[in-house]
Amino acid sequence: MEKLKDALNFSDFSKAERIGLIIFSVFLLTFPWIGAGSFTTTVMIQFLLFSLFGMGWNTIGGYGGQVELGKAQYVGIGSYTVALMMVWWKVPFWVSMPIGILIAVGYSFIIGYPLFRLKGHYFAIATICTSLVLKDIFDNWNLVGAAKGIELPIHDHPDFLYMQFKSDTYYYYFIMALFYIGLFYMNWFRKSKLGYQLRMIKDDENAAESLGIDIRWCKIKAYSIASAFVAVGGGFMAVYNLYIDPASTMELSLSIKIALMAMLGGAASLWGPIIGAAFLVPLDRFLGSWLGGQKGLTGIDFMIYAGLIMIVSAYQPRGIWGIIEQFRKRGH
Amino acid sequence: MLIADALLQGILMGLLFALVSLGLTVIFGVMDIVNFAHGEFLMLGMYSVYWANFFFHIDPLIALPVSAVVGALLGLASYYWFIKYLLRGPAIAQLFGTFGLMLFLQYFAMFLFSADYRMIDKGLLVGKSLSVGPFIFDWTKLAAGILSLVAFAVVYYFLHKTKTGKALQATSLNKEAASYMGIRTDRMNAIAWAIGGGTVGMAGGLLVNFYYAYPMVGILFVMIAFACVALGGFGSIKGVFFAGLLVGILEMIFPVFGHLIGSDFLGPHFKFTVVYLAYFIIVVVRPQGLFGWKN
Amino acid sequence: MSFLTVENIVKDFGGLVANNNISFAIEEGEIIGLIGPNGAGKTTLFNCIVGYHRPDSGKVTFREKDITGFKPFETNRAGIGRTFQIMKVTTGMTVLENVMVGSFCRTNDRNTARGEALHVLGDLALDAVKDYYINELPIAIQRKVGLARALATKPALLMLDEVASGLNPTEIEEVVELLRRLNSAKKITLFLIEHIMEMVMKVSQRVIVLDYGEKIAEGLPADIVKNENVIKAYLGEKYAQGL
Ligand SMILES: Nc1ncnc2c1ncn2[C@@H]1O[C@H](COP(=O)(O)OP(=O)(O)OP(=O)(O)O)[C@@H](O)[C@H]1O
Ligand SMILES: [Mg+2]
Repeated sequence: MEKLKDALNFSDFSKAERIGLIIFSVFLLTFPWIGAGSFTTTVMIQFLLFSLFGMGWNTIGGYGGQVELGKAQYVGIGSYTVALMMVWWKVPFWVSMPIGILIAVGYSFIIGYPLFRLKGHYFAIATICTSLVLKDIFDNWNLVGAAKGIELPIHDHPDFLYMQFKSDTYYYYFIMALFYIGLFYMNWFRKSKLGYQLRMIKDDENAAESLGIDIRWCKIKAYSIASAFVAVGGGFMAVYNLYIDPASTMELSLSIKIALMAMLGGAASLWGPIIGAAFLVPLDRFLGSWLGGQKGLTGIDFMIYAGLIMIVSAYQPRGIWGIIEQFRKRGH
Repeated sequence: MLIADALLQGILMGLLFALVSLGLTVIFGVMDIVNFAHGEFLMLGMYSVYWANFFFHIDPLIALPVSAVVGALLGLASYYWFIKYLLRGPAIAQLFGTFGLMLFLQYFAMFLFSADYRMIDKGLLVGKSLSVGPFIFDWTKLAAGILSLVAFAVVYYFLHKTKTGKALQATSLNKEAASYMGIRTDRMNAIAWAIGGGTVGMAGGLLVNFYYAYPMVGILFVMIAFACVALGGFGSIKGVFFAGLLVGILEMIFPVFGHLIGSDFLGPHFKFTVVYLAYFIIVVVRPQGLFGWKN
Repeated sequence: MSFLTVENIVKDFGGLVANNNISFAIEEGEIIGLIGPNGAGKTTLFNCIVGYHRPDSGKVTFREKDITGFKPFETNRAGIGRTFQIMKVTTGMTVLENVMVGSFCRTNDRNTARGEALHVLGDLALDAVKDYYINELPIAIQRKVGLARALATKPALLMLDEVASGLNPTEIEEVVELLRRLNSAKKITLFLIEHIMEMVMKVSQRVIVLDYGEKIAEGLPADIVKNENVIKAYLGEKYAQGL
């Protein structure tokens, strides 16, 4: 109960932020009536999905300050669990998704235990390695469709149990609901004991240890929370796309994108991942559809995208939210 | 027999891996940065030899210096125009920054050269092989191994015997002390990037004799290089040499074992899984690197 | 059995023996000073006790419990708080949040933690700076925050690594007062490394002296300043004459 109150309590934010959140929420709720074209709806769904991924990453990567670059493996676990259980045993989404989360969390403990013995670059590279190993396995494992991936059976009629709808609007509202659950959870998380401890770990590991914090255990907990978030998103991807393969769910570039969006928006802030996704997802999509398709210009879209990453890393590593905060501080 | 053959082939590949990883470890030693774009330097080294061969019919072996120069210039340009600015930020921004550079170079190559797979089909050594007793070596791989060893030796000599090289090593050991001794850190960084780019560019020039060049080829090799650098102990030159050999051998020998015991999971598709797993296990068990030379 | 017992601690950094066979005991409620020239091994000894280093050999016992080889968070939970000689100047958390992390050591509830933290801050007269970030504060206040953070974990033994260095005489006076108060009112046993001789001699009931990794003396402050080995190693003739 206390926790729920904390999750819904945004009173420590400034007035401007609270008003922004309300306007943004109204926009999200009414979007299918005002803005919807099928392309914009797809972009919005992607935006919400990546916000969710980013919020998850933010626990370990943002608050905990760990350069975690292997989140894609949990997208893979979430989406493959949902897809395979549906194909093999016709298990409804509402059963398979929680199982996917459990598997992701279990797996994250197994991986996290050795992983968090490592620090710095060793850690960052090891996270990539673990993710690529899983992709390598799925790429070659015929039972799960290998590199070809798997298609989910398409039902003739919309089916809530299996999350199959004709219109994207339903998917939109579903991911929006997940987004809000994620947002409220993160609002609680940042005020929780673990949230404080992680921030201390990020600031000064030695001091954190001297204050009775079991650093490794804290990191593992945050890592598994992040993994759960990402697995939920993965499960959604399976029912939304109705087709998954290792390349779209476990690629290194997906891991990087997840971390990047949170970073770009502003790591360790509640709004950061949302801002980052709001910026990068449309950019990615529109650049792709405007430039990527033109003959002779293949690659230009990603060059612009990469150029932006380079500029932000060099000039504003604290992200867009960092810039805003700077202005606000100057205002004081 | 199979195993002996795999061992020899593995050593040749391992020598090349060592050269690929050398620059990464030098850069890491001097400035504590992990360069994601390292594989793209390799990729552009491959292309430079490929195009020299394609347009001017220069033999890939003779065009090799071109790849080294292209790589070195690329390293210098990256350092002065980009990496320098990253240094002010936190480690995570540096990782993302070099990742951005990696993406940029990949798609730049895609834009210029398209996504086609390209391999050199004519050259002094291409397609020829040498048989020694029961073993058959491709000349291209043999040359790659031997020239890698030579290049490695030259850089090793440079780092340990010349004044600049010693200054570089001093910076690598202790930046602050080095700067008190009047060593200019900025210049050392630039030299590290030139060496890093040059060696890996040359490795690309060797690789393109028997491996396809395509815009995304770098990621595979940069992961191997990461593994080698970590196994050798970040910043250790000797370490990376032996780690390269080890990874080369592992990569060749596991499929053979797999074949012998009839297991698909050690099959050729998984050879990099083996490398990643080896990396993961070894750094967890021995976080100071396999050989722990740095300390 | 004493409150804290250190027996035959050896710490060898690859040939450099930073602690060589050091033994001593501290009783509950004492204030003990640890002195010695730069590089004598004082910080290393602290680190061996609280678990940042694992001693090569030797044994540390705290309240009847063998804590040798414990991790720092475990020794903290067992009741040992410590401050750092060099406090990292961080930018991520306010003073209040820093101290709250300390209180979270003993509670899971945020409001309780916040209350405790405010209490500690009030006690150390730090209320005014509670919303500042560490990097925005002068060094004297930074050190006090480090102390507050450690206090918030409710230690029975508090180990302070040069809390007073870099402070001016008035500030030192304040710290001395504070330490005495913590010791008498809160019953916290204090173990402090200090370079400022006037302060150690004034505040400590007993002093331990290290030199080149060895314990060269232990005793009452008045005896220590007269001890020949100590004078040779550390204090210098001048100081001894001055007293
Ligand atoms: N982690 C370490 N690795 C190697 N040597 C170390 C390490 N920590 C300390 N030393 C060495 O051990 C010796 C003792 O260091 P220590 O920091 O304990 O001295 P100290 O008495 O606290 O000195 P100061 O008064 O300067 O703080 C020094 O020579 C130091 O260089
Ligand atoms: Mg010290």
